Amino acid sequence: MSVIEELTAELAKLPGIGRKTATRLTYHLLKQPAATVTRLAETIRAVGERVHPCTVCGNLSEVEPCPICADPRRDGSVVCVVEEASDIGPIERTGAYRGLYHVLGGRLSPLDGVGPDDLRVDALRSRLGNGSHVREVILATNPSMEGEVTATFVRGVLAATGVRVTRIALGLPMGGELEYADGVTIARALAARREMGEG
Amino acid sequence: MELTALTIRNFRNLAALDVEWPERGAVIIGDNGQGKTNLLEAIYYLVLFRSFRGVKDRELVRFAEAGFFVAGSAGHRVTAGYEVHGARKKVTVDGAPVGKLGDAVGRLLAVSFSPADRVLVAGGPAERRRYLDVLLALSDRRYLDALTALRAALRQRNAALRRGLAEAAWAFDEPLAHAAAAVAAGRLAWVERHAARFGELCAALGEADEPGVAYHLHRGGAVDAATVAAGLAGARERDLRRGMTTIGPHRDELRLSLAGHETRWVGSAGQQRTAALALRLLEAESLARIHGTNPIALFDDAFAELDARRQERLLSLIGETLPGQAIITAPRDAEVPAALFDRPRWQMQGGRLAA
Ligand SMILES: [Zn+2]
Repeated sequence: MSVIEELTAELAKLPGIGRKTATRLTYHLLKQPAATVTRLAETIRAVGERVHPCTVCGNLSEVEPCPICADPRRDGSVVCVVEEASDIGPIERTGAYRGLYHVLGGRLSPLDGVGPDDLRVDALRSRLGNGSHVREVILATNPSMEGEVTATFVRGVLAATGVRVTRIALGLPMGGELEYADGVTIARALAARREMGEG
Repeated sequence: MELTALTIRNFRNLAALDVEWPERGAVIIGDNGQGKTNLLEAIYYLVLFRSFRGVKDRELVRFAEAGFFVAGSAGHRVTAGYEVHGARKKVTVDGAPVGKLGDAVGRLLAVSFSPADRVLVAGGPAERRRYLDVLLALSDRRYLDALTALRAALRQRNAALRRGLAEAAWAFDEPLAHAAAAVAAGRLAWVERHAARFGELCAALGEADEPGVAYHLHRGGAVDAATVAAGLAGARERDLRRGMTTIGPHRDELRLSLAGHETRWVGSAGQQRTAALALRLLEAESLARIHGTNPIALFDDAFAELDARRQERLLSLIGETLPGQAIITAPRDAEVPAALFDRPRWQMQGGRLAA
């Protein structure tokens, strides 16, 4: 396999990129100045080497703990639970939330081989243990069937902790992903969150 | 409803067809294997965006081609394209791509009659559940959504059961129970509303043996979510042992009967054909009432196996319930009732149509 084919094959593995787009990107890169291509390659390498999940919340960060966990101005009494680290950005951009986060690392989906042990639920329970300041956990998993089921499951696990558990209001269309929702919609969903009954 | 124009590219053996349809439809004569059924399958593809023969999209693509395309105009213009690479399906209605297939299902309405329909009566319960699911999905968007949710929840719960992930399996009980109750309620209500008419249609087709139809909930099934949820909770041990969900409408039965005995077991071939025809006529009536327009009638060699008396009765019923456009195929003129030749006759050979 030539190096051109190799790059095309690597790009085609990325989500949302088909063979046609991968080929176009490859030839686009070949036409760029060497410095541009080198900068891209080094950035990709740096991301892989320097970015790690925060050991507290699971957010992706170059520092440990992540800047959100380390920020003393954040409200440590609220934890917002999301499926993926990529869900944090859209919530942060609303400016409507000042608490902390917890990344589950997915959602319950046995079809994809994701069971309870594959999610960071135990880590969440530990965060709420002795000496914790957390008074409310907001479940902000996606409004899909799997997201709902995951929320119900986490709610059940947290029942014994006595912490207040709420669910974002589903202003988001069923099946719509948090990641792609606009700021106003997310802010409204957070503001209108409601108590979750015993799971 | 009336199909005015149809375009087909690379669908099975049909390389390229562009057809303007007469108001009354047409009779299409051709030997087997020339593409008659494929043509009807392509039309029906625009109803459900799935093959009515139950095959995968990939298998509908003409040999060595990259994909297929079908477009039909019947009031709305509906198109469906499929590309083998990436298994991509694209559906548009009046030029606008649809986000979910459910938004386009039922824009074009058709009912297909075929000798293969006997399997509706003679085959297993899954055939008759599918009959109800297609009919109700075309009639009620909420039913389609419930059915989609039911299938998704079942797949997840069963995958969890197979992997022994008990907690993950029970987590899907709640959405499963809601969807299961909605699907069962939809089916039960439809059957109760149409049972008497099914008997009338069978009788009109010459059935004298007390024809009946009823919907049977499987043990633990119910039309309210709380009861289904309780049933699911009670069956957990068993489900985990078997690695599958044993409660829900995927186990219910639409039971057809003759004098109280299942037509599937006691009916003669002729009686089973009669019951199948009655189901199709009922489908046409039900869709017509809900949508306020008659579905397009597709008859795929549907008269061949009927004796003269049944043919005549069927024709008179079609005249009442499907007075609109009909597309009729047969291998020979002689296998089409003379009364249907009030429309143009075309020949089909090697995937091409000629007048
Ligand atoms: Zn953190």
